[in-house]
Amino acid sequence: MNNVLKRFELVCGVILLGLIVFLVFIAAIMRTFGHPLIWSVDLAQLLFIWLCFVGASRALRARAHLGMDIAIRHLGHRSRLIIELLLAVLFIAFLAILTVEGVNLTLLNRERLFGDSGLSYAYVTIAVPFGSLLLVASILSNAMEAWKQRNAPAADLVFSQSENASEQALL
Amino acid sequence: MIYLGIVFLLLLVLGAPVAFAIGISGFLFFLMSDVMPTSIGVQKIASVSQSFPLLAVPFFVFAGHLMNESGITERLFRFSKVAVSWMSGGLAQVSIILSTLMGGVSGSAVADAAMEARILGPTMIENGYSRGYSAAVIALSSLITATIPPSLGLILYGYVGNVSIGRLFLAGIVPGLLMMVFLMCAAYLVAKKRNYVDRDAKRPDMRTFFHALYEAKWALAFPVLLVVAIRGGVFTPSEVGSFAVVYALVIGFVVHGDLTLDKVWRAATHAVQDIGMIMLIILFSGMIGFAIIFEQVPQSIAAALLAGMSSPVAIVATILLMLFIAGLFVESTVLVLLLTPIFVPIVKQVGFDPVHFGILMMTIVTLGSMTPPVGVAMYTVCSLINCRIEDYVRESAPFLVAIIALVLLLLFVPQLVLFLPNLVF
Repeated sequence: MNNVLKRFELVCGVILLGLIVFLVFIAAIMRTFGHPLIWSVDLAQLLFIWLCFVGASRALRARAHLGMDIAIRHLGHRSRLIIELLLAVLFIAFLAILTVEGVNLTLLNRERLFGDSGLSYAYVTIAVPFGSLLLVASILSNAMEAWKQRNAPAADLVFSQSENASEQALL
Repeated sequence: MIYLGIVFLLLLVLGAPVAFAIGISGFLFFLMSDVMPTSIGVQKIASVSQSFPLLAVPFFVFAGHLMNESGITERLFRFSKVAVSWMSGGLAQVSIILSTLMGGVSGSAVADAAMEARILGPTMIENGYSRGYSAAVIALSSLITATIPPSLGLILYGYVGNVSIGRLFLAGIVPGLLMMVFLMCAAYLVAKKRNYVDRDAKRPDMRTFFHALYEAKWALAFPVLLVVAIRGGVFTPSEVGSFAVVYALVIGFVVHGDLTLDKVWRAATHAVQDIGMIMLIILFSGMIGFAIIFEQVPQSIAAALLAGMSSPVAIVATILLMLFIAGLFVESTVLVLLLTPIFVPIVKQVGFDPVHFGILMMTIVTLGSMTPPVGVAMYTVCSLINCRIEDYVRESAPFLVAIIALVLLLLFVPQLVLFLPNLVF
């Protein structure tokens, strides 16, 4: 299940990115030749938020989200793992509230139209709860991996890579 | 507003990803507010994504990865090497030139620094350059990418501060080139004293030089085409971003023939991850940005600043000093997103051009990632070439002097920044 989700994120992300490039490119070309496509950019704009969340989830799995480690760098692996697990609980709570509020907002937004293309704005707002759930799944998956390797001092944590791994990733 | 700041700093200190530190502290505003429904917080996240200028972010990130895979970086490196490696401190000069050229391809200082630490770092050490000097020149020269178009930082600044991205792009060219010259002088003076020379490098004859130049023509033409396309106002920066992707694909597949479907896939997956990382910070900052405006933070800070000073240059200098101090601790994207909405109104109010200010601000906040105690570019380079932070700091001094001299020059001579955008717009 977890692996299916991981693959799904990757494929979806690449397809969304390709589509957005194509839509904006085509719109600019067609406008130049006097046939503006109004819906093209609107659709790209709508897909953008989906790309952001899918990519954010992927970056989370890769433990690539930027954090500052100046204060906690010198703590031991065990203490850092505990801090990150507590943060994970907090983030999941935050994302859960976002999911609920996002669904509420989407229900309110059903009537609101998007740009000039007649698409419902609900397709934009629903991306927030969807993305929040993706992020929750990634945090859980990372936390489980980190917990399984809790006794290995060089293992990855929930949000950050171990010292060795982050140097590897840059090389 | 105070508790937002406390929660934000606490989460940062605990090592939380910046995106979540920003998201949670911003969301608290909506949770605690009596007048603001919580679902408006979600609304603010969603509405950030509906800005057309921000679409330039994924395009330029993707184009940058594609150009790496399509042999453009390699050709730029070969050209820089032929052009300047014969000078005193030749490899340092190569690093500076390459940063300038790469600035026209990718918009990220850290990516540029990491790439150069890998391809130039080991050679510099082999040729007897000290580790500190090598690390300092590689990390600090990546500052040039901050202003050369397409700069991701300037796109964000333009989006948040509601300033023309086209004008910002044009305004960044001269400061970027001046930064190149200033850093080359600093590198030259130190290298001359220590007799750093690349043993095998000799001054190229015209033929070799033009051959390398010709080989790199598609890469060198890119920033020029970019500026030409934006200049007339016919295409927006976002549209030009989509052209950049198509350009990289065409050059990679048709002209250089270095690109394969595998490489495109790899570039796209890297891009998706980078876009997700950057955009989550930006989306979540929609909430805290709203809180800042709602609580009238810019007005209170403006009142405090304007009470003591009247000269616009003195006020901007004070703001830049504050930005420099903030930049020592906080990552540049975050500073741009959080502080642009505070400072741009102040700067406008005292009659200072926001385009001019944007270039100064980007230079200062990006410099923060090359200085201790918190500096992503610095840590990346130092860990890649195995340099102690103390050595890095000591050897940075001449380059820092050059950078500060340039910032002061740009502050007092606005024409250096503004003459290009005023000429074409």
